[in-house]
Amino acid sequence: MSADDPMLTSHQRRGADLPPVVVYEEVRKLFGDFVALDGVSIQVNQGEVMCLIGPSGSGKSTLLRCTNALEVVSSGRVIFEGKPLPSNETEARKIRQRMGMVFQNFELFPHKSTLDNVAIGPITVLGMKEGDARARAMKLLDKVGLTDKAGSFPSSLSGGQQQRVAIARALAMEPDVMLFDEPTSALDPETIGEVLNVMKQLAEEGMTMIVVTHEMTFARRVANWVVVFDHGKVVEQGPPEQIFDAPTCDRTRDFLGHLGWNG
Amino acid sequence: MTLDWSIVWESRYALAEGAKLTVMLTVITMLIAIPAGIVLAVMRLSKSRVLSTSSMCFVEFFRNLPLLLVVYWAFYVMPVFMGIEFSAFTTGLVALSLNVSAYNSETFRAGINSIRKGQTEAAIALGMSRGEAMRKIVIPQAWRRVLPVLASTWVSLFKDTSLVSVIAVGELAHVAMQIRSQTFRVLEMLTAMAVIYWLMGYPQAKLVDWIRKKYEVKE
Amino acid sequence: MELDFSPLLDSWGYLLGGLGITVLLAVLTVLCSIVLGMALSIGRIYGSAWLRIPIVFYIDTQRAIPVFVVLVWIYFAVPILTGWNFHPFWAALVALTLNASAYAAEIVRAGIESIRPGQVRAGLALGMSRAQIVRQVLLPQALVRMLPSFGSLLTHTIKDTAIAAVIAVPELMKRAETVVGQSYRPIEVFTTIMFVYFIILYPGSRLIERLYQRVAHLGRS
Ligand SMILES: Nc1ncnc2c1ncn2[C@@H]1O[C@H](COP(=O)(O)OP(=O)(O)O)[C@@H](O)[C@H]1O
Ligand SMILES: [Mg+2]
Repeated sequence: MSADDPMLTSHQRRGADLPPVVVYEEVRKLFGDFVALDGVSIQVNQGEVMCLIGPSGSGKSTLLRCTNALEVVSSGRVIFEGKPLPSNETEARKIRQRMGMVFQNFELFPHKSTLDNVAIGPITVLGMKEGDARARAMKLLDKVGLTDKAGSFPSSLSGGQQQRVAIARALAMEPDVMLFDEPTSALDPETIGEVLNVMKQLAEEGMTMIVVTHEMTFARRVANWVVVFDHGKVVEQGPPEQIFDAPTCDRTRDFLGHLGWNG
Repeated sequence: MTLDWSIVWESRYALAEGAKLTVMLTVITMLIAIPAGIVLAVMRLSKSRVLSTSSMCFVEFFRNLPLLLVVYWAFYVMPVFMGIEFSAFTTGLVALSLNVSAYNSETFRAGINSIRKGQTEAAIALGMSRGEAMRKIVIPQAWRRVLPVLASTWVSLFKDTSLVSVIAVGELAHVAMQIRSQTFRVLEMLTAMAVIYWLMGYPQAKLVDWIRKKYEVKE
Repeated sequence: MELDFSPLLDSWGYLLGGLGITVLLAVLTVLCSIVLGMALSIGRIYGSAWLRIPIVFYIDTQRAIPVFVVLVWIYFAVPILTGWNFHPFWAALVALTLNASAYAAEIVRAGIESIRPGQVRAGLALGMSRAQIVRQVLLPQALVRMLPSFGSLLTHTIKDTAIAAVIAVPELMKRAETVVGQSYRPIEVFTTIMFVYFIILYPGSRLIERLYQRVAHLGRS
């Protein structure tokens, strides 16, 4: 199944026949009096690539953090694989193990080699033997094209390389869904492509992905569902053709206009 | 073990005298060490090799010595070199001033260095005079860096005054140790000494925290 | 005035032994206070109020009273209170550690708090527990960042060990006093000892800075 198969993206939403992976039901999140998420209801299907777009401060990162229980929702529910997220920390940890997260600033561990950064999850969290974990890590470094950097420390890698390691680190937990929070926003333009390619490859393998991004070309080509955020609310959602070519909502048009998107 | 805390009350005047001397030592040392520190810092940053090297040698030397040794040294060596006897108080004052001036010099140097040239230029470009740029832009910024460090140095100095007790300067530590050996009320006197230092030092430490928080430089 | 350095020549072995004790006392103090300081700061950052309030009180108290006062109290008052007598060296180690651990705790706290929250989030997102994150993510990085501060703690402590002379710990300062007492040559002896301290302390600070430059990248997230 190819990500930009027009038969799938234009007629039927991908994964519609399967139970959804993540469902947000009227999710609200307050920081003090400030409403960061204001009643968000969306769903993410199996094998879907959902892109969240919208102006800075609109609540995209907050929604991602509510997805793996790094933040607790103020009201409403986040349902993962049919069950609401648990409120206790021990249970939440088990859920997080099944979701991979990739950050804008990579957040690699600077005191560990590339290989150990990828192996640390399986070793400490899954209790895997070090040898097995390193073997798994090596395979993943191969997948992101960085076997030659296995022994290097993050400080000696370029931004794009660091982000690919971060993706490998998240994949090492064999997650059911991957969360990306502006994975290319901190990168030099020349290294953005290598990270997007890895993500595209993941999408083609059928990984369920929620991607916050300002890379509209990526959203247009790889996503099968795009959600536009503003002020903590979903202002529009739909397949990329609709959002980018025929937005039904002024705010979407404004936002895309600001980014210089012209169809 | 019988404790007799009345000794503390009976010694209250002597202890108060000692505490007063501790405060005076702190204040006078600081009054000497701030201008001395500024002079040393300016010397260090001057173009003259001789001035800057001699300032550096002085500062690095006294920053890297135990204060107690400086106290003994001042006690034995100063009278020989100067040919006159100094009071214990003056000797203590000299030792503390040598030490704190060296520290202050580094504080002021960091303060001066922290101001980038661009700031003055930007102020002048806005139409300020050099004097105005200095008063309104440069000094306030340097002050924010210098004050919190000076405040910490102040507290260290306050505590370090206890070391001049070894040459019988009659400040708090010396008075308490004296009464201890005269009356043999060791536990009571030493505890009283600790409590008095605490009562004086604790608010100072808290004040330092407050100043540091208020002036914290965010970049 | 005539200078006579012969007392130094006669007793250089004795003084060198004193230097050994100075260094031993300082190194032991710093090691103990790093361990204690780490425990204090973790209790302060992650503990409940019941733990946090006494820890903060302890740290601020140690910042408020002179080492000299702690030292004489431990050496003279504790035996009266408990009936235990201990060698001045141990009294000095305890007193210096009580004091230095408060500073070490502040260093560790600053180190941990300087690591940006994203690192904790990355650990959490992998499913790590808080304790695992502190041990595997925060402390190793914080330790690297703290290296220069621990270096200054060591030089500071070496200077403080001289205070132990007051309770007759036979370290360098005390032995210098002894040599002065026997020879009546304070100028020669104290001036020489000054240079000995300087020669240890000055390059010591530089060396630690150099070492830090080598490993700094391991703490830079
Ligand atoms: N921990 C927090 N405390 C207070 N306000 C927060 C916190 N996290 C996010 N916010 C606020 O919530 C809003 C949404 O933030 P975020 O989800 O990061 O937006 P986006 O990722 O879309 O740029 C912002 O205005 C931000 O300031
Ligand atoms: Mg964001």
